[in-house]
Amino acid sequence: MPSQTPPAERLLNLVIALVNTPTSMSKQQVRSGVSGYGDAPSADAFERMFERDKDTLRDLGVPVVTVDAGGHSDDVGYRIDLDAYTLEPLDLTPAELGVLALAAQFWQDKALRVDTARALTKIRAAGRGSPGSGEAGTDAVAGLSPRVRAAGRAFVPLLDAIQGRRVVRFTYRAANTGEVREREVEPWRLAARRGGWYLIGRDRDRGAPRSYRLSRVEGTVRVTGTPGAFVPPEHVDVDAALSGRSGEVREARLAVVPERAGAVRARAVSPRGTDLDGRRDLVVVPFTSRAALADELAGYGDVVVVLGPPDLRAAVVARLQEAAALDGGAAAGSDATEGTDG
Amino acid sequence: MAERADERLVRLLGIVAFLDAAGAVTVDDLATRFGVTPQQVLEDVDALWVSGTPGYWPDDLIDFDAASLERGVVRLTEARGMTRPLRLGTREAVALLAALRAMRATVAVSGDVSARALDAVLAKLTDATGEAAAAVDVELTLDGAPQVLATVRDALARGRRLRIRYVTASDVATQREVDPLRLVTQDEHTYLLAWCYRAQDQRTFRLDRVLEAEVVDVPVATHRAVRDVVDFVPDPSGELVRLVLDAPARRVAEEVPVDSVRNLDDGTFEVVLRVADTVWLRHLLLQVAGHVRHVEPAWAAVDAAESARAALAAYARLTPDADPASGGAGA
Repeated sequence: MPSQTPPAERLLNLVIALVNTPTSMSKQQVRSGVSGYGDAPSADAFERMFERDKDTLRDLGVPVVTVDAGGHSDDVGYRIDLDAYTLEPLDLTPAELGVLALAAQFWQDKALRVDTARALTKIRAAGRGSPGSGEAGTDAVAGLSPRVRAAGRAFVPLLDAIQGRRVVRFTYRAANTGEVREREVEPWRLAARRGGWYLIGRDRDRGAPRSYRLSRVEGTVRVTGTPGAFVPPEHVDVDAALSGRSGEVREARLAVVPERAGAVRARAVSPRGTDLDGRRDLVVVPFTSRAALADELAGYGDVVVVLGPPDLRAAVVARLQEAAALDGGAAAGSDATEGTDG
Repeated sequence: MAERADERLVRLLGIVAFLDAAGAVTVDDLATRFGVTPQQVLEDVDALWVSGTPGYWPDDLIDFDAASLERGVVRLTEARGMTRPLRLGTREAVALLAALRAMRATVAVSGDVSARALDAVLAKLTDATGEAAAAVDVELTLDGAPQVLATVRDALARGRRLRIRYVTASDVATQREVDPLRLVTQDEHTYLLAWCYRAQDQRTFRLDRVLEAEVVDVPVATHRAVRDVVDFVPDPSGELVRLVLDAPARRVAEEVPVDSVRNLDDGTFEVVLRVADTVWLRHLLLQVAGHVRHVEPAWAAVDAAESARAALAAYARLTPDADPASGGAGA
């Protein structure tokens, strides 16, 4: 045939055929009977086309099952399991569909955007749909646009492995040491926190739970072993696993130059602060992570001086002393007690 | 046509199942529902019309009422058994549910009616897909002062202009009037996309740097399409800076927009970035100074070191011991 059937239409005809077949269809019946497969120039080409289409359908959630016809060993038949095919009716209001459309834009990963867009198409098909129900109901979430940073190539294979309960192997660069090592992990959860994506699971070498930042996974994630290789704990405490988020809230007391460090003041108990000595304001800021706040405050240089608590002050001073040595020790000996203006 | 075959297949199947339940639907409504053009709907109908079961005689084919299609209404007369909507794949369900949960958490803080729609969708979808969604856990942080957030949400909902006081990354505070366009929660920050009358252009404001916000009783003007950009784009005219850092400073490679990252054999790594704002670079160097092995150009290291020495001098003057008295007087 000179004109090729478009792939979408060939797939459509295959689905209709396998849904309607009274028992099952053999490959030969597909090749000779289903529109589009006659295009294949050879038995090999047909074989490849059919295998690829079957994979595509299964990936879309279409349950193509094999039926052993019995008797002749070659006679494997195919059909679609209609019970497993069906999505229960989902009657969503226009506002609810609007919310879903927004959720579909949430992911920045291409693979996941394709997944959510497809899910949206399926859900739109499952409604009874009052006439004229466009998705005008988005007012409810007007102007809201939550989304997460792309999780990278490791995400989809890890998600599949979590669902299949399969062990994964990958190369990982540890941030604290820079060590690059192969890890074997039972994957439990994927979590997005504070701008980063993490895998939480059990490290098989350490025999203990660990978390891994996905951006530090190098190369590809390989799935090993069989499905159902482990049982994840019933409850995974993501925030406990990503330690360093201890809950205790403390108050930093800061001496801030007037009108400056606006971003710090914005979080303060009282943004304007109280006058300290005519030259600085006392600004009190709640915090949980000492390291994160010390990093931020060191960045302000002499605009912000930490008065307390002492451990925060020491952490900032330590950072400043390291910074003071950045130009090769022009004043390497300087410290907080004998500050020299540079 | 660039559309993937699998995406089109899902829509083709979806249109049949939807029409089977919904009855007659206009081409335009169908297009809106499936998020495609009316032209695409007509092409889809044409493709469905010639599809069916092997044999492909007229009775084997999916069929539509031709007369109503003339009037722009699609009415299915034969579905060939394709009446059921296709279930969600596990990954699809997980991706959608995780997104909805994250949105729910975002909306809850500002407590408005959209929470109801979200709850309803979540309940219906969870019922339809089972427990798989636990695999992914997304938590978004809505930062910014609560009253600022509430004011911005209010202005967005009512389409009103805002007056804000904003402090830049270089610690310069300014007063601006803006037309709010969108509130984007991404990663660890919330951003307000807005038309800025001061800049006469669209600007992105980090919500935790908005010091004050008040609604101005002026309806927002119509602006050209929103550029949905949150990620900081390095100024191409900025100076090239090269840093070699110890492994614990990895977050610089992960969170700062860098041109390139190169892992070195001794466990350190090199980043190259473009810097238009020397104050910003000074802030960065002061924060990671303990892990800096090398800085190019050299003036950047000198600048940061001088700033650090000035800061240490300020620390020497302002001892914590002197504080209780003045702090007490102020409080």
